[in-house]
Amino acid sequence: MSDLENTLRAQSPMAEAWRMFRRNIPAMFGLFILIMIILITLYGAFVFTGDPYEIVWAPHEPPLLTPEFPFGTDYLGRDIIAGLLTGGAPTLAVGASAAIITMVIGITLGAFAGYYGGWVDTLLMRITEFFQVLPALLFAMVLVTLFSPNLITIAIAIGVVSWPQTARLTRAEFLRIKELEYVTAARAIGAQNSRIMWRVIIPNAAPPLIVSATLTVGVAILFEAGLSFLGLGDPNKMSWGLMIGMNREYILDAWWPVTFPGLAIFLTVFSVSLVGDGLNDAFNPKLRER
Amino acid sequence: MTRLLDVSDLKVTFGTRYGTVTALDSVSFHVDQGETLGIVGESGCGKSITALSLMGLIPTPPGKIAAGSIKFLGNELIGLPPAQLRSLRGSDMAMIFQEPMTSLNPVFTVGDQIAEAITLHQKLDHENALKQAVELLDRVGIPSPEKRARDFPHQLSGGMRQRVMIAMAVSCRPKILIADEPTTALDVTVQAQIFDLLNEVQQEFGAAIILITHDMGAISEMADRVAVMYAGRIIEEGRADDILDHPQHPYTRGLISCIPSLDQTRDRLREIPGIVPPLHELGAGCAFAKRCDHAFDRCLSARPSLSAAGHHPNACFAVEEQRL
Repeated sequence: MSDLENTLRAQSPMAEAWRMFRRNIPAMFGLFILIMIILITLYGAFVFTGDPYEIVWAPHEPPLLTPEFPFGTDYLGRDIIAGLLTGGAPTLAVGASAAIITMVIGITLGAFAGYYGGWVDTLLMRITEFFQVLPALLFAMVLVTLFSPNLITIAIAIGVVSWPQTARLTRAEFLRIKELEYVTAARAIGAQNSRIMWRVIIPNAAPPLIVSATLTVGVAILFEAGLSFLGLGDPNKMSWGLMIGMNREYILDAWWPVTFPGLAIFLTVFSVSLVGDGLNDAFNPKLRER
Repeated sequence: MTRLLDVSDLKVTFGTRYGTVTALDSVSFHVDQGETLGIVGESGCGKSITALSLMGLIPTPPGKIAAGSIKFLGNELIGLPPAQLRSLRGSDMAMIFQEPMTSLNPVFTVGDQIAEAITLHQKLDHENALKQAVELLDRVGIPSPEKRARDFPHQLSGGMRQRVMIAMAVSCRPKILIADEPTTALDVTVQAQIFDLLNEVQQEFGAAIILITHDMGAISEMADRVAVMYAGRIIEEGRADDILDHPQHPYTRGLISCIPSLDQTRDRLREIPGIVPPLHELGAGCAFAKRCDHAFDRCLSARPSLSAAGHHPNACFAVEEQRL
């Protein structure tokens, strides 16, 4: 198909962005890896049925020596591949739900601040700044310590410390878009404020917010790993962060129990970042030429 | 004829870093059913602010309606609760904007946007509203309307988009259609088409039109009555023929003599020297005095208001004292 045909076929801005995204090789590669990781974490545990908590072999069996345990065993003699396969889902779930919480709080506050301006803006932005200057990791640690360290608390803690950036981004978009003529035009046909905020401005502010949401997933996964590493993960749910956390004391005796989950986290965050950057390029094709 | 809109002594102020400036000062006019009122003036003379204040769309702050009244079918609009004002907007009063390029939402199809305007004021589901939208697109002369309804604004030309805006504006059969420089961003052949369309729409829907423009040609083609604005005030008012044939105020004369005509053989086009003074620099005298060939001492000390001296109401001491 020629470029001209493509241009003429161009439909919604979203379809257009997807067309740009498909041509972006690194981004498609990232998307492929991400989908593979999601499929493996969702269905891997069905193919490879092993209990990640069960002690099945001698501790610290190196990888590739025993065919049953291609990734080796950890300090208690638990199978690492079982941990990798079952630990992915909680990691991804925490990452995704923390990103959702971040977006919901950030977009709501940012939208009200940017749209209404005046004292609403001042008040909401002071609150945002308060959360922004809190040391995020320490604050999350306090929250997780105060409440029980389960996946929901961890997701909420990550969400609560990472929304300020989204709020500021949303506010900036609202400040820009609310001055545009189609917003006045929407008002002139009698649309009320809520409709203008959520049906007119948000769809136009979506591109940077989608990019930011994607990148937030990556940050949240790293955050969860960090909390688990510090021993604040949910001890009853095997996650990649928890595996690193549990095995970190023996890192000098055995490299593999921390390296494989670390690689899994790296690959996930890497692919998420590729997708996020790809989305950014797809929504702003002009930026890429710089 | 029914009096639709009655604006009297409207004063709109804006808080700026130069202090409070008066963007509109004792502006009074009226619009009757089915007629076309032209509001003419240069950029920055308060035309668009007039339109926005009629719609209740002045950005507050910094803007503020400081005094005056806007009566729509006898009901005062100023001070009306936002919800009631909103139900008027789009149904009884609609507006067409200057820039069809930017006044449509880029992420929705034009059909969706018209349908949305319909569902805001009528109890219709989206599907039926969409059907009406297609009919409206057909009505405003868009070929293959069913296909075009699924287009996004960026797929349409400027003239097409302005047609879409008109379709959206007339979707709820407004009594007043405010067209704020509807053709400024379009090329000349398209301008004529849009004016024809506005005339047709007026015939069909019986709407009164307030046409805001700086183009005297557009006025002569469209308007029944004209109000000439300068620096936030109406300085001349009358029937379109009277204004065009017997302009009173030197500013109006200037505007009209700026229209190039075919039987003149001049190298340069006429212009009015100078620019509209910044609102915060308005002194005590007539705002036009500095650009006026006929200004005399009285013009520098007091600001004239509309008086009946002359052929029709105008605000000029020179006319009043028959010095022209």
